[in-house]
Amino acid sequence: MAIRRRRRLPLSLVVGGALVLALVAISALAQWIAPYPYDQMHIRDRFLPPNLTYLAGTDEYGRDVFSRLLIGSQLSLALGGTATLISMGIGVPLGMLAGYRRGATDELIMRTLDVMLAFPPIMLVLLILAVTPPSLLKTAIAIGVLAVAPIARVTRSVTLDLMSGEFMEAARARGERLRYMLMRELLPNIWPVLIVEASLRVVFAVLLGAVLSFLGFGVQPPAADWGLMISNGRAFVDTAPWISLAPGIAMSVTVIAISLVGDGLREVLDPRIGGR
Amino acid sequence: MSGAAPSPPTDPLLEIRNLTIRYRDGGRQINAVSDVSFALKPGGSLAIVGESGSGKSSVAGAVLDFLGPGAEVSGAIRFEGQDIAGLSPAQRRRMLGRRIGAVFQDPFTALNPALRVGRQIAEPMVEHLGLALPEALGRAEIALREMGIERAAEVACAFPHQLSGGMKQRALIAAALACGPSLLILDEPTTALDVTVEAQILRLLSRLRRETGVSLLFISHNLGVVRRLCDDVAVMYASQLVELGDVRSVLERPAHPYSKGLLASRPPLAAASRGSRLAAIAGQMPTDPTPDAGCVFAPRCPFHELRCSNAPQLLTIAPDGHQVRCWKNGVLGPWPRQAVVDIEEPVFHRGDTLVNVTGLGKTFDKRARFTAWRLSVADGRPLLYRRPGRVPAVNDVTFSISPGEVLGLVGESGCGKSTLGRLLLQLLRQSHGSVEFDGADIARLPTQALAPFRRQAQIVFQNVGSSLNPRLSVGEALERPLALFNLVEPRERTRRVEALLEMVRLPGAYRKRFPHQLSGGERQRVAIARALATEPRFVVCDEPASALDVSVQATIVNLLADLRDAFALAYLFISHDLAVVAQLSDRIAVMYRGKICEIGTAAEVLAPPYHPYTEILLASAADDEPPAVPQGASTELAVGHPGCVFAARCPHHLGSICATKPPPLRVQSASHAIACHLDTAQLALSRLGA
Amino acid sequence: MAAYVVQRLGAAMVIMVAMSVLVFLATHALPSNAAALILGQYSTPETQAALEHRLGFDLPLPVQYWRWASHMLQGDMGQSFEMERPVAPILWDALGRSAILAVCSMIVVSTAGLALGVVAAVWRGRWPDHAASIFTYFGVSLPEFYWGLVLILIFGSTLHLLPSSGYANLAEGLGPFIAHLVLPVSTLTLTLLAHVTRLTRSSMMEALDSVYVKVARARGLPERLVILRHALRNALIPSITVLAQDFGFLIGGIVAVETVFAYPGLGRMLVGSLARQDLPMMQAAILVLTGVYCVANLTADLLYGVVNPRIRYGGSIG
Repeated sequence: MAIRRRRRLPLSLVVGGALVLALVAISALAQWIAPYPYDQMHIRDRFLPPNLTYLAGTDEYGRDVFSRLLIGSQLSLALGGTATLISMGIGVPLGMLAGYRRGATDELIMRTLDVMLAFPPIMLVLLILAVTPPSLLKTAIAIGVLAVAPIARVTRSVTLDLMSGEFMEAARARGERLRYMLMRELLPNIWPVLIVEASLRVVFAVLLGAVLSFLGFGVQPPAADWGLMISNGRAFVDTAPWISLAPGIAMSVTVIAISLVGDGLREVLDPRIGGR
Repeated sequence: MSGAAPSPPTDPLLEIRNLTIRYRDGGRQINAVSDVSFALKPGGSLAIVGESGSGKSSVAGAVLDFLGPGAEVSGAIRFEGQDIAGLSPAQRRRMLGRRIGAVFQDPFTALNPALRVGRQIAEPMVEHLGLALPEALGRAEIALREMGIERAAEVACAFPHQLSGGMKQRALIAAALACGPSLLILDEPTTALDVTVEAQILRLLSRLRRETGVSLLFISHNLGVVRRLCDDVAVMYASQLVELGDVRSVLERPAHPYSKGLLASRPPLAAASRGSRLAAIAGQMPTDPTPDAGCVFAPRCPFHELRCSNAPQLLTIAPDGHQVRCWKNGVLGPWPRQAVVDIEEPVFHRGDTLVNVTGLGKTFDKRARFTAWRLSVADGRPLLYRRPGRVPAVNDVTFSISPGEVLGLVGESGCGKSTLGRLLLQLLRQSHGSVEFDGADIARLPTQALAPFRRQAQIVFQNVGSSLNPRLSVGEALERPLALFNLVEPRERTRRVEALLEMVRLPGAYRKRFPHQLSGGERQRVAIARALATEPRFVVCDEPASALDVSVQATIVNLLADLRDAFALAYLFISHDLAVVAQLSDRIAVMYRGKICEIGTAAEVLAPPYHPYTEILLASAADDEPPAVPQGASTELAVGHPGCVFAARCPHHLGSICATKPPPLRVQSASHAIACHLDTAQLALSRLGA
Repeated sequence: MAAYVVQRLGAAMVIMVAMSVLVFLATHALPSNAAALILGQYSTPETQAALEHRLGFDLPLPVQYWRWASHMLQGDMGQSFEMERPVAPILWDALGRSAILAVCSMIVVSTAGLALGVVAAVWRGRWPDHAASIFTYFGVSLPEFYWGLVLILIFGSTLHLLPSSGYANLAEGLGPFIAHLVLPVSTLTLTLLAHVTRLTRSSMMEALDSVYVKVARARGLPERLVILRHALRNALIPSITVLAQDFGFLIGGIVAVETVFAYPGLGRMLVGSLARQDLPMMQAAILVLTGVYCVANLTADLLYGVVNPRIRYGGSIG
């Protein structure tokens, strides 16, 4: 790795990073941390406001909202991570290929992506989800496929920028093969941008996943998905607002944490991309 | 200042006293300008000369209030008798618009792309002179015409992206002079322009000075340019003023070692023997100078003694009146010349060629399918037509290079020289023609079969910022060619990398460093080492020194010369700078718009008879004020016409033959040929202005 | 410029066709038995087969597509399985109501978002910038439906200021009409506002840092002129692209917001038809919404071509 000048890490990265690590840890250990199983009903304790026994109150079935929040974090993070991995796994190679090869390959790839981008984001996902029975994996795949186009675009434009650098020509003057050019010359220069982009995509996936479950197209009850919880709590927003508010706060904290990390990474990595 | 009386003529227009500027970078303070003082008299013209990092632009920035909040400025700046620091922001603004005009380096970014050019020129007039917009626009058009732009009305209505670089710069000068300022500050105004356009702009500035009496503060790194335009020159090095005086005496009898070195390292515009080397200044300018500790130039100075680094250097007066920051001035001799290397002049046999190019051509075809169609209205009816294809970038070029020979390729931007270089290496595939390397036609070979050729032919690029992969360390970058071609055992590679670094005069420890930790000159050396790692026989050098400071240029050119001799390398040395090309090349080819106009040995090309274009290049590159180049007979020739590519600009235009028939190759000697309709006798007489 | 326009029109048409194919294929991949749905309790294998034949489901796919597409172009969107009425009139009504939401939101978002972004860039590093940053951070960190619920909670349930659902026709008076619009539009606007503000801010900052702005200042032009005439004009050009992209998010937002507020628009109709597998309604709704987005993008592209001098006046003078 390069010998960097001593610079203090930006605050956003430190705070965000700490939060994200905490969230991931909590999520991983959710099964053990949660005071109650997520689907355990306490009929006599329904609609209780937050108190010491039920930290975020109980819902219409008497389930502990706090425990459901913790389990729900697993679903959200898993969704965000899987969708992003899928979209980057497909989008990055496509973008690199389009930017490197130009010509007919580039045209073909970009036109296809243009068609995908012509759909309003939610339409594409609904189209995919509506035709098959919903599940977490299908939702992740649908969101992942949706994000392929923007990621391919970003990758392609960064690739084009790098292609104008003479070190690529120098490599071709040596007669390097395609694989070497993409993996050893191009990719090491692309990944900083990609990491920042990935953090944005995770946020996007989490939010879109919440909308989908809210509308009923994501995971099904009695799963403890945050979007689903908000949807369930809609009917009781006058009398028991915490059922909907609590998952929203959890989502907000998660998204803000990941955004902070993304912003921090951008600050740290950006000056180095210029390479000056 | 008493009442409304004008200041007496002996008062300076601009007076800088003990100007010191410091920037904060991270936790440290950097001295950008240290204790600089000079004065500019009304109607005078002062140049501030220095390399990048010397602080010259910061001085202009201080006058124009450009420096931003991170800069600490101390010292006095007095303009027209008033202390600038004491002005209110509104007064300052008024002063800037009305009394001081500024022109910057890059005309491509200095014009607002979303506003019409005429508007941008008229704006200051509306603001400061209180003119109504229509009147101001009218004056803007007049100003453009005065700048030598013929179609002034069209240009005034145009957007910046529709104009060429030279036109943009003229528009910017017009805008700067719009309100009739008494001082015009120019920061490297011609650096981004071709040398012929540069000559025109300089002539324009000269004329403006004569006609309006405006004073000039001209900032540049180019000493030749300065000589043509300015009365006095101040030389800056590492934040300090090291010499200040009349331009003739400073340039002819420099007193400070740095000035001596700077002038000595410029290549003369003459053919050089194989063994000659440019005088160079070793080392590089400190990025964080500490003038209080001692002379900032001492580490690089061949005349330095212990006493130089003990105490800060003070300004003294040299025998002929100019100020010098060196206690040894007056007793110093000239800058030490580089020893001539004892080497035999090689003899090249015409038949023995390494690279043989025949009828090479390359046309870049934009995706001409859909976007080539244009819709226009003719006689009130819509007309759909197909735009003609583009002019070839390289057009039917033929030449050869013998083993160990250096062919210099000279031309301005857009002439196709870089494209030609890449075609030779098959980094671009030609549209037609053949390229033979060592007897084999590599133009016909498929990409996979090119591996053995690739080992023997390499390239060094111009752009030092991006020719090295920023993520690879120097060692990794140099090892790759060794590994790829299996030139050395894995165990031996580190040793070989260090040997390569030594060859380009860099310490072996540099292999751990990354490009952003190296200076421009060091990066270029690594790029050269990388090119030589495969032990090639032929190297294309595409403007290798153009992006570097003058003092560093000389070291790189010397290095290339040494390597050429050590390994019997053949070069195609591409540059827009005729002097640099002449220093290194055995033969020179002059290129214009894809065609080679003239080719011959360096001595033959630099002496008459000349191709008309060569003549203009030489005149523009010379130090003295060049004679006016008459405009070509006609500028309206259609793109891609079959005649001579230079017909539109040629001062010796013969008539319709130049536009309709391609010029024949007039052979002047066994090695010298000129492509021109003028016959040999006429060419021998050709002189500009005759 | 002419070439640009033709190119964009061509691209838009190709995309519409490709989209319609995708929509058709996707919806025809439904595993459910459409015929069984329609027939309900009367479905037997024979009646299903007969209905399928009548509906043309046994024809080869390209033929079915052709019939469907040509009907669509003539305005015939088929018959809703569920409601057993023609889709077209229902759809256009719903589209009209959604359009009101969309237009109001876009107006607010474009004006407020651009203004906020410019203010944040001009007062960079000072409190307006920080305030804008915090606002945008929260704006993008939660989905619309959540804000919708919060607004319902505050203004609907707690303060009883505004109705929390439904739609009031203009015929019923301007007051109720606007009252029913306030909360949905506010919800839609909040999230998009954050996005537009952010991007406008960065494009304005780029313009303010440019050389030509420095030059304008060096000519002594007053700061307000520099910001408004020099920087803003350049900063707005990329903003058009941003707004077009946001229109796509807006459509997604409308779907969620109409659900939260029980607003009888096209989004809510779409969700309903998806849940109930009402094929013709589904196809028509998706196609129309996507078509609207396509037109919006085309408009944005053309507008961009007009506003950006490089495209409007290509070519060069000497």
